[in-house]
Amino acid sequence: MNGATLAMEDVSVAYGERLALRQVSFEARGGEVVALAGPNGSGKSTLLRSALGLEQPQRGAVRLGGSALDQLDLRARARRAAWMPQEEPAGDNLPVIDYVRYGRFPYLAPWASETAGDLAAVDRALDRAGASELRERRVWELSGGERQRVRLARVFAQEAPLLLLDEPTAHLDIGHQLEVLERVRAIAREGRTAVVVALHDLNLAARFADRVVVLHRGRVIANGLPAEVLSASLLRDVWGIASELRVDPRTQLPYLIPRTIEEPASEPRVRASRTRIHLMAGGGSGGDILRRLVDAGLSVSAGVLPLFDSDTAVAEELHVPTVLEVPFAPISETTRERLRGVLAETSIVVVAPFPVGPANLANLEELRDYPRPDRIFFLAQTAGRDWDYTGGTAAALRAEVLGRGALELRDTEAVLERLALRAPAESAEGFGPRRDERR
Amino acid sequence: MDAPATVVLTDRRRAPEGRRTWRAGALFAGGLAALVLASIVLGPESNQELPWQSALIIVLHQVSFGHLGPSPCAGLSSEVCSARIAVVWDARIPDLILALLAGAALGLSGGGLQGIFRNPLADPYLLGLSAGAALGASTVFTFDLDPARRAFLLPTAAFVGGLVPGTVIYLAARRGRASPQTLLLTGVALSAFFSAILATFLLYNPVANLSVNFWLLGGLEYASWTNDGLVATVVLVVGTLLVLRARDLNLLQLGPDVAQSLGSDPKRLTRQVVVLATVATSAAVAFAGIIGFVGLVAPHVVRRLVGVEYGRVLVMSGLAGGAFLVIAWDLAQTVIPSVVIPVGIPTAFFGALFFLYLLYRRGGQSLSGGPR
Repeated sequence: MNGATLAMEDVSVAYGERLALRQVSFEARGGEVVALAGPNGSGKSTLLRSALGLEQPQRGAVRLGGSALDQLDLRARARRAAWMPQEEPAGDNLPVIDYVRYGRFPYLAPWASETAGDLAAVDRALDRAGASELRERRVWELSGGERQRVRLARVFAQEAPLLLLDEPTAHLDIGHQLEVLERVRAIAREGRTAVVVALHDLNLAARFADRVVVLHRGRVIANGLPAEVLSASLLRDVWGIASELRVDPRTQLPYLIPRTIEEPASEPRVRASRTRIHLMAGGGSGGDILRRLVDAGLSVSAGVLPLFDSDTAVAEELHVPTVLEVPFAPISETTRERLRGVLAETSIVVVAPFPVGPANLANLEELRDYPRPDRIFFLAQTAGRDWDYTGGTAAALRAEVLGRGALELRDTEAVLERLALRAPAESAEGFGPRRDERR
Repeated sequence: MDAPATVVLTDRRRAPEGRRTWRAGALFAGGLAALVLASIVLGPESNQELPWQSALIIVLHQVSFGHLGPSPCAGLSSEVCSARIAVVWDARIPDLILALLAGAALGLSGGGLQGIFRNPLADPYLLGLSAGAALGASTVFTFDLDPARRAFLLPTAAFVGGLVPGTVIYLAARRGRASPQTLLLTGVALSAFFSAILATFLLYNPVANLSVNFWLLGGLEYASWTNDGLVATVVLVVGTLLVLRARDLNLLQLGPDVAQSLGSDPKRLTRQVVVLATVATSAAVAFAGIIGFVGLVAPHVVRRLVGVEYGRVLVMSGLAGGAFLVIAWDLAQTVIPSVVIPVGIPTAFFGALFFLYLLYRRGGQSLSGGPR
């Protein structure tokens, strides 16, 4: 017995010659919000439609609440899954309350009128969708945001254990987008409802979904936690855009900053150097210098960095070889081994002003044995900001390495200067227009 | 203090549409009753030969099996009396009831067809359904089939004839929301096609005569208690079945996909409604000829009065269709002194004007059925 609210196994759907879904398998369970992401035409809507039987799969099986779709009549399906299409005809200019009552259709015999229970379900749905005060209005007279809440109420009124929502935030401003998704998530959280929601906006997907399923040309190419799935390389491969993945420091959720135009690969401004530079960073402290070093045509490595760190994203985007570790876990002995291997082939180590805790302390420990301490450049920590979360151990290590001859440099410019990649600043307030490119 | 507030909300929730419906319904029932009474006393014969009081007395007498009111024969010779009874009870009343029933059948068909097409210009006449049914029915006259069984042959042949345009309409509806232009032009083509065959039948057949022509134009020529009983049965059965599908029709207005996602079967619904509309239209055409625009006007007027819910729209369309045809019948008998014209003429006259009004109101917006 399959306990999933929705299970799709190996489902393929074709429109004429074109395959819209190719062997799609995935499940959604009660209480979780699954975001379907993917570019236009990747099969998101088709997937939602075939979960309901609105599309007939050429292959594969769809199960709702453990029962095969073709074993269920239309009413039984409607009691198990509610669908909100991206667009629907305006229909008649009904009072909102009558429109929302349509959601009770699968529970009503043709001759029966709504019971008190049905009307209570409609009230609950209006309340959950935040549309209670709209009940007397007419549907053609609603604003975009109101209309979307009312449509949501109709879907909620079905009280199905599975909600299939196709771009519920389309045409809404950001405030209404957040509101609609908050309400959908609340339904999933409070009950055993599973929500599958097609979303264009990956950042919304990352923020609201427990799981992200990425479709590309009708195939599921990723399925997992938002942090596992969303990456700059995925964006490049699937959407064909360059982007930067960062982690929201408060929520620890990944978010993507797309760059509309792929930046042209920069020409090395200095003769290619065989100097190998290793960067220690984390928490966004090293993104800037990493970019500058790579732009300068240097051969750079990075690490140890935790997965999903924003520095990791930059490193990935720049194709910088990086020693990685699982987030929030202490650096393991194997990883340390790999770091030592990288350091052995490095001629310069740059240490970004990253926060050091017990988890990443091993980075500094490895510097103690670095054979050329004078080629370790520490970037100055920002004054007044705590960076040492080890109760002094990190600060002591840093002081020790500095004592052996490592340098402390004030900023990225100073590091580049030190590496003799640019002319020294001509004046103290040398922030002229792109002078660093003049050489 | 929360509970009372909820109660108030619950009460207000149904009130506006509900109260409107009741008021409209009561008004309508009263109007229809007055209309029927007026129609009983009207008529080309309503002069010295048949005073209006006499007509009412005859009806009262017949309806109560002779128990109520004064005897209709008081102070008259038995010949005059039985002639009057024949005129009122065996001719005028069956005609009136047939007008009511045929109008109801057409109103129901129009309401149902507008529902499945999601298009306010659908009508059994404009879609060619009436022409197909008329061609079917006319075969009974053309080939002079057993006159004794006409009561059953006529509607059956009409239904068979109606199935042809019915199938075309079903195919058009299944392709989704056919554009109003396509729909109307399909109807024009079908009507022209069937009318051509019908004209051939009428021109070159010795049996075809003025009475057939009169019937075709909406003559209520075949009104009789038996035929009325048959049409009444059809109207009741079709009306009941359609009203049972009202909730599905409501959902279909949100598009076939949404309707299906809510548990309704749009394809089956379309099939059922086309068959029911064909049955009702055929029954009306078989006995009352081709009467246009009733199925167009009735649902329109009704929506103004009771809103868009299909249960109410269908029931009221039946009543309004009946009322419309009774008014037309009254006009047909009185508009030219001592001449009775077919009811199809006044309905077409006013219906066509109404149709033009619909087409051009608000810049033809109604062509797309409002802001969709």
